Amino acid sequence: MAWIATRYAARTVGRNLRRTALSVLGIAIGCVLALFMESLNRGRGELFARVGSSSGIGHVRIVPAGWRVRRDQRLRLADWEADAAAARSLPGVAVVTARARAQVLLAVGTHVVPVDVVGVDPAVEARTFRYVQRVQEGRYLRATESGALVVGKTIADRLSAGVDDEVVATAVGSGGDIQSAMFRIVGIVSTGSDDADMSVCQVARGDVERLTGLSGAGEVSLVLDDFRQADAIRLTLAPRLAPGDEALTLPELAPEIQGHFEQDAASARFVSAVILLIVLLGVASAQLAAVLERRREFAVLSAIGMSGARLITLVVQEALMVGAAGALLALALGLPIVWRLARAGLDFRRYLGTSYAFQGVLLDPVIFGDFGMWIVPYVFLVAIGATVGASLYPAWYAARTDPAVALRVAQ
Amino acid sequence: MSEAIVVARGVTKAFEAGRHQQVWALRGVDLEVRAGEFLALVGPSGSGKTTLLNLVGALDVPTAGELVVLGQRVAALSRRKRALLRLTSLGFVFQAYNLVPVLTALENVEFVLELQGVSEGRRARARDVLADLGLGALADRRINELSGGQQQRVAVARAVAARPRLVLADEPTANLDGENAETLMHLMRDLRDRHGMTFIFSTHDPRVVSHAVRVVTLVDGRVARDEDKPGEAPHEILAGIGVPVPAQKA
Repeated sequence: MAWIATRYAARTVGRNLRRTALSVLGIAIGCVLALFMESLNRGRGELFARVGSSSGIGHVRIVPAGWRVRRDQRLRLADWEADAAAARSLPGVAVVTARARAQVLLAVGTHVVPVDVVGVDPAVEARTFRYVQRVQEGRYLRATESGALVVGKTIADRLSAGVDDEVVATAVGSGGDIQSAMFRIVGIVSTGSDDADMSVCQVARGDVERLTGLSGAGEVSLVLDDFRQADAIRLTLAPRLAPGDEALTLPELAPEIQGHFEQDAASARFVSAVILLIVLLGVASAQLAAVLERRREFAVLSAIGMSGARLITLVVQEALMVGAAGALLALALGLPIVWRLARAGLDFRRYLGTSYAFQGVLLDPVIFGDFGMWIVPYVFLVAIGATVGASLYPAWYAARTDPAVALRVAQ
Repeated sequence: MSEAIVVARGVTKAFEAGRHQQVWALRGVDLEVRAGEFLALVGPSGSGKTTLLNLVGALDVPTAGELVVLGQRVAALSRRKRALLRLTSLGFVFQAYNLVPVLTALENVEFVLELQGVSEGRRARARDVLADLGLGALADRRINELSGGQQQRVAVARAVAARPRLVLADEPTANLDGENAETLMHLMRDLRDRHGMTFIFSTHDPRVVSHAVRVVTLVDGRVARDEDKPGEAPHEILAGIGVPVPAQKA
């Protein structure tokens, strides 16, 4: 083992304490910023999962054959009851709910609004669809009632209708004929977002069946205890489904929302990379200054037979020590910050309001960071990677020292 | 007769000094050094002593001519092979000691052995070398805690620890007082006598010249004189080539 070389590297790091301390501090600050961004990015993944569990999309959804391509609301599952039973039998599945959707025209007097009506099981729906907790006027659907309608405030406003008003719903029937039915508004939901309110139009599932003449459900949504199990549940569920029916996960169900999150994550990672690049240049500059100061020393080491590769190893070894110290300081500074981020979250309500929606789906304006064991390897990897990266040019420069020239200049 | 370990034939070295300008440090040096010699290179400043030592030490390569050190043509060696030659067969003593300041005396000596890949008994061997040079009690001291004379002895210990065949010393006594210079020369001569190492050292110092068995005088990059056991006194040799003889330090 190269103990003397290691000792030499360690003592060299301590030779100019002020420079080393500044390098360590720079690395630590860069790492803390990168850690903060990464924690938020991972937290966004959880936020996406929360969207799935609260917006009615579900973490996993069973859809009919062809739905993935056509996204046609008139498609129905081959055997929704068997699919739902199979889903309920799996461990880790918290809620299972079946729905039937239809495109309808709602009319009150001369006011007409095209909407997607969702036929639900009212007893279960409230556990998966957070918006129904925001009924501003009236109430939500009751388990056994028929002919009742809950709409979003935007729809109600466009219809100039209120609670207890009657609405005519017109849809295309199973044979292509036009079917109509009368509904009474029992509740108006206000999420605070016009987009989200426009997506709320619910009746009992049986009412959709009667209106469209299409029996059964068009989807079965699953909310899981742990969203990370979505892929595993889907794989387990697939062979137990009725022929033709298939299970999809949240990114496949809502690719536009997934894309929105990925775009945010990519932007955050770009910012992290820029921060780390600036830190890296600062550390490289300090390292190069240290190498230039020790030119004669490197010349002597070269004169006594140290090869270029060993000189590079020596400088990189010094960088490793600075990087490790930076990582430890980053952990000391960053852990409380990320802990706080994970507990209290980053509150964007002041800038986004309480009802920030994207594609008709309400997004939580409070983003929580992720706090976990990943932090330690992440910080060490970033700190040491950045420092070693920063030391490569100074190390190469040290290895290229011409001993004859350096010693002649020194004398 | 012992083998020639350094053979120089018409060795020339030029340095760039600005655009299209060259300074000729050596102009066709012919020299042969045999194993076990204790050779002094003397000459005025700028005569090419350090340049010749650097070439023989494989720190640099000649511009023209042929230089063979320990059977290897220096100009034909890559940087890596020259480093290997220095590591395995050459030792250096510099005028300014040039020890690693953050290491102790013992670690400075041990470092060379570590670079050579010696692991077993490395520390004991380094201690023995230091003890041999009268530094046993100072082995664990940091370099800045040692006097100039002690530092130069550590530098000699580092140079000879790996038992190189050839030790090159560039004005090793230039920063030492008379007593320390004498001690150092006795130690180097003793190492040569006991271990058969070859020493080539450059100097201005008549006391050092007096220890040399062979004196090679360089003037303007050429060998002006080359004598075994010169008849003239050292200060006469130096005065003869225009080297001001320094007053002895107390």
